[in-house]
Amino acid sequence: MLEIKNLHVKIADEETEILRGIDLALSKGEVHAIMGPNGSGKSTLAYVLAGKDDYEITAGSVTWNGEDITQMSPDERAAKGVFLAFQYPIEIPGVATMTFLRTSLNAIRKARGEEELSTPEFMRVVRERAEELKVSSDKLKRPLNVGFSGGEKKRQEILQMSLLEPTLCVLDETDSGLDIDALKIVAEGVNALRGPARAMLVITHYQRLLNYIVPDKVHVLSNGKIVRTGGKELALELEKSGYAEFGEAAA
Amino acid sequence: MSVEVLKTKAEQGLADQYTAARSGLPGAGNGWAEGLREAAWETYSSAGLPHRRIEEWKYTDLRALLRDAYPPAPALAEALTGEDVLAALGPVLAGLDCHRLVIVNGQFRLELSDAGGLEGKGEVFSLGDALGDPSHWLKQTLAQVNPPLNDTVVALNTALMTGGVAMRIADKAELGKPVHIVHMLTSGEAMSVTTRNVVVVGAGAKVTLLESYVSHGSAPAQRNAVTELVAGDGSQVHHIKFQNENPETAHLTSWMTRLGADVSYDAFQFSLGAAIARNQIFVAFAGEGSRSHISGAVLARGRQHNDTTMVVDHGVPGCESREFNKLVLDGSARGIVQCKAIVRKDAQKTDGHQMARALMLSDGAEFDSKPELEIFADDVVCGHGSTSGQVDAEQMFYLRARGIPEPQAKALLVAAFIGEVIEKVENESMREAFLKLTESWLAGEGEGG
Repeated sequence: MLEIKNLHVKIADEETEILRGIDLALSKGEVHAIMGPNGSGKSTLAYVLAGKDDYEITAGSVTWNGEDITQMSPDERAAKGVFLAFQYPIEIPGVATMTFLRTSLNAIRKARGEEELSTPEFMRVVRERAEELKVSSDKLKRPLNVGFSGGEKKRQEILQMSLLEPTLCVLDETDSGLDIDALKIVAEGVNALRGPARAMLVITHYQRLLNYIVPDKVHVLSNGKIVRTGGKELALELEKSGYAEFGEAAA
Repeated sequence: MSVEVLKTKAEQGLADQYTAARSGLPGAGNGWAEGLREAAWETYSSAGLPHRRIEEWKYTDLRALLRDAYPPAPALAEALTGEDVLAALGPVLAGLDCHRLVIVNGQFRLELSDAGGLEGKGEVFSLGDALGDPSHWLKQTLAQVNPPLNDTVVALNTALMTGGVAMRIADKAELGKPVHIVHMLTSGEAMSVTTRNVVVVGAGAKVTLLESYVSHGSAPAQRNAVTELVAGDGSQVHHIKFQNENPETAHLTSWMTRLGADVSYDAFQFSLGAAIARNQIFVAFAGEGSRSHISGAVLARGRQHNDTTMVVDHGVPGCESREFNKLVLDGSARGIVQCKAIVRKDAQKTDGHQMARALMLSDGAEFDSKPELEIFADDVVCGHGSTSGQVDAEQMFYLRARGIPEPQAKALLVAAFIGEVIEKVENESMREAFLKLTESWLAGEGEGG
């Protein structure tokens, strides 16, 4: 279970708080959506969960399976099952996609006390998962994310998620930059990973993604706070009314 | 007018060595060879070792860096076997399929070499022997291939050279395997080694030449090596250097290259070792329609000092030059890239570009980059660039968010950075070897730590 209590966060070296007291409880088997306008702190929350050191936690706690993760490095968190699907996946020229995938998978397997996969076995698993997500083998031969379209990058993220089999998935605006076909493929990939052992936090600006990945709960984040929580129908309501009512007035 | 120059201890040592050795150096008794040495000694001794007030040597002050002149390596080095040569090369390069020519402490060692007669497409002999009875072509070539003006390190080499490889590749010859000149140092005591190679590639010939510089043992050494290379019209030459000498070595090498017409010249230098390394490359375009692509990779840590200095001289129209250097600098290492492109008045339609990039892994490392363009023609495309930076924080976070621990993530990014330039090596076995050596270096092995 993910438990966020009274979480306050600011950018390191700056004064302004971006998250101003977040409380959230997400159990395994559940999918929660976080919706909110631009600048509400959605991406900050995603980065803080993954351990990006540009941010400073000034108050509150984050525990995953009862363990405080706030002092852990990003790789330690990944080993504990935390996975962030990036809004803007990073291009790394010179690092072959397959080398990256194998290094990542083996690092996580090692941390979990599992054996490294043999090369043929690794190849088989990657090919299988890539096919499901319609990632061409040509893309796997390229340097990581280099020259990929926005949609291709997002599919790579879901491919990584599918290979690493994390237990806490944080999807940061995975729908941005996707056309409807790509959105369906990505959503199918995500839905295939839903299960009783896995918790998911789906961050999005638009309701559209939630037609395909149907959440158990929807939280509205505005100005660094969760201002409303409801069922999946809340997303539809927001689609009609917009975020205006959660603007400055809610602060 | 004669001005008495105050000599440093090393300069005095060199002068004593020349006086003591001159009558015993290869070619003694041959008027041409003696004349060559005398003239070179004059050039050297009028200025002495280069120092920081000589513009080209601003960052590598040999007067300050060389405290002593080590005694010359003995004429016949200790008994060595082929196994020793392979051990000095290291497991990665020992397996390379090539025509191997071995120079130990300045002497070409036929019994350790395996040139296979160059497949009947050329000739190889010992330069030291040839100086005693020089052939016509050697007299027309030695010390005349694009000699740099007033470079006293090259002059010192001509004055004191003990040997090396003299090689000619026949016109239109295509060698099936690379020629690998192994420059090996082996000694229990401090010594200096001065070697010279002369390579003439015939018109239309295709050759890959690897020069490796390695140590067998950990004794201090001073190396001064020069390779003169003439690329005939229409030839294709890949010229590669690998340097992994022990961390007590001062390494000075100069490549003097002249390209004919329609030549394709690809050079690559990979530097890992030595305490002080100065890699000089002088390329002259003597025929139209040629291209010269020079790239380099430097991995330095500890207190290593690595200076790559190049002069590319466009004397004729329609040639293309590229210089691309990448350096990874850790600890208190210092990396230097100086690259001068000269485009002479007649060299219209010159296309020249240079780039130097350094990746700094510590606050104590230093990178100095000095690009220079001297352009006297008006219809040319020339450019230069230089960058230095640290490992990208966003890329690091991305890799670590995927479970890759920090040291491994950093190693991946550094390998990616330097890999871009190693990828330019056409020979697959060498490329793979260099990538493997990079991995070992990143894992903390190798010289210079």
